[in-house]
Amino acid sequence: MSFLIAQSLINGVILGTLYLLMAIGFTLAFGVMRIVNFAHGEFYMIGAFCALIGVTWLGLPYPVTLALTIVFAILMGAVVERLVFRPFRNDELSGMIASLGLAMILQHGALILFGPDPQAFPAMVSGVFKWGALIVPKSRALALGIGLVILLIFYLFLMHTRHGRALRALVQDQEVAAVFGVRLEIMYPLGLGLGIALAAVAGGLMAPLFGVSPFIGATPLLKAFIVVILGGLGSIPGAALAAILLGLIESFTSSFVSASAADIVTFALVIGVLLVRPAGLLGRAEA
Amino acid sequence: MKRKAILAAASALAMVATGAMAQETLKIGALVTMSGAGASWGNGMKRAAELAAEDVNAAGGLEVGGTSYQVEIIAYDDSYKANEAVTAANRLVFEDKVKYIIGTVGSAPILAIQPITEENGVITMTLGFTAQALGADKQYTFRPNPTTAEVAQPQIDWIVRTQDVKTVGALFPKDETGEAIAKDLAGAYEQAGATLTATEFFERDRVDFIPLLTRIIAQGVDAIELDGNSPVTAGQIVQQARDLGFEGVIIRTGGPATQEIVNVAGEAATEGMFVHSAFDPGLASAKAYEERYVETYNEPMNGFSPFFYDGTKMLFQAMQDAGTVEDTEAVKTAYENISDYEGILGTMNWTGGERYGIAHQLDSPFYIARVTGGQEEIVARCTSTGCE
Repeated sequence: MSFLIAQSLINGVILGTLYLLMAIGFTLAFGVMRIVNFAHGEFYMIGAFCALIGVTWLGLPYPVTLALTIVFAILMGAVVERLVFRPFRNDELSGMIASLGLAMILQHGALILFGPDPQAFPAMVSGVFKWGALIVPKSRALALGIGLVILLIFYLFLMHTRHGRALRALVQDQEVAAVFGVRLEIMYPLGLGLGIALAAVAGGLMAPLFGVSPFIGATPLLKAFIVVILGGLGSIPGAALAAILLGLIESFTSSFVSASAADIVTFALVIGVLLVRPAGLLGRAEA
Repeated sequence: MKRKAILAAASALAMVATGAMAQETLKIGALVTMSGAGASWGNGMKRAAELAAEDVNAAGGLEVGGTSYQVEIIAYDDSYKANEAVTAANRLVFEDKVKYIIGTVGSAPILAIQPITEENGVITMTLGFTAQALGADKQYTFRPNPTTAEVAQPQIDWIVRTQDVKTVGALFPKDETGEAIAKDLAGAYEQAGATLTATEFFERDRVDFIPLLTRIIAQGVDAIELDGNSPVTAGQIVQQARDLGFEGVIIRTGGPATQEIVNVAGEAATEGMFVHSAFDPGLASAKAYEERYVETYNEPMNGFSPFFYDGTKMLFQAMQDAGTVEDTEAVKTAYENISDYEGILGTMNWTGGERYGIAHQLDSPFYIARVTGGQEEIVARCTSTGCE
């Protein structure tokens, strides 16, 4: 039994970290742009395809591929901001609908380009780390390790650079930030680009574990959505807390009760939190 | 002289033209899964119908009752979902006016469209594994592929006997197909002297099996059974079970899917896996079909495809025997009456009268193979009575 508890704990933390990568990008894009980006899951999918193309078609090393994926995603974010989201900057509803349309265009674009069949991704590492009876697959440890490094870099960028501070100011209050000289024309594309890059890199990290197909974006989007609602829309610490919580809940209920119970418990929790704290665990109530 | 020649040429042309005009089109629906996890099966079925159609079209069309028909395949995707299958079935039956449907892939979709197809006398050819797909009240539904019910027992007997398996764990999708297979397999392992000790059900689009596998492996099972899962899902389960350090036997009882499983999980993870195979590479006709499939579509062939190729060719023969493409009742009876059909997979006959109450289930030889270096190696030859 203690084996199952410890193993579930490890599985849950790994899962939670992966959800966190998705959710932070989602909540950042919302915080900066005030747009619920339903195309977020599709950028996860695009990231996974970028990794597939880099590793299997071009034969690039995995870390180089991931770095290129990030650069590509930031540029794509800037383009998408300019072409799709800029006209809806102060219109949440239309922005949301535009993001739904964008999601469909991206998914069906991938369908036309790559076909519906899931594509195999070669394993980057194989084998397991073992401590007594406890097991961590090396493939997951790799994804966890890279994910944590990226999150740390992102955290340092956000807390200790000029652009990071500007982004945080923008999340807190757009008008005041603008008054203090935050250049919105740079910060909007940058914020969305970074959010999208986090989704894309999550896709690239997950590709060796879960495979690649045009339809893989839906589940991570749903998880990111749950995490962000639990944590409070726009709140990054809230997302971190909620992601780990969600990972642990899923892992423990799946291992001790059943997979369907995990879904029930997750959504019951979301409803419960929304009833008690409508702004989420660490979210600020709208003024 | 010159004028005469031109006249002759013109009349010859006119004859060719009227000849071509007398040729009619026979529309056949392919209501299969072309997106998501079941797409490899659906594409295998659709392409089987296309290749069978290509054969008759290349030979100048299908001759039925003095008329020559060019066969056209109209394909719709049901995404393995019952509601989308119903939409597509309505479109096929009432708008496209087809009388023959290749499909569906899934069990829930075939049960959902049967009220439409049976009512309108539309002949369907399903892959769906549920026992309920066939029945005395479902006169127009046929199944050209063997299911778990046909192949499980002989195969499981052999594996339990030779591999010393006592306890088995398994993951099934949470739907009609999964439930039916879980029940069949539990009974089959029981009868073979082993127990299905750990079973888990999950949503079909799930990709992370680590928590479920942790639970199954913690119960100390000797083997993991993959039957009932789509090829891609099965590959992910194999990969993740080996990732968790599972060293026991991995068994795939029903549903040919080896190529896709190896693609997803890799050669190392699949080494030593026991799989069901409907395919004897020693059979020249089967090998030729596989080569043609790969050459045409540039993708590995799904193992169910040859069954649907044979099934479609048998259907064409039934139309010719009945002398009509319009009267599906006559075609259905002619289809039932085909016996000892020499298909690309061997000799085919209808069976299932006892099990389903109607002999609409195709019977064919099958094999148990061991995966070595990503390739199937036949280790036992089976019939419905046992494996050697």
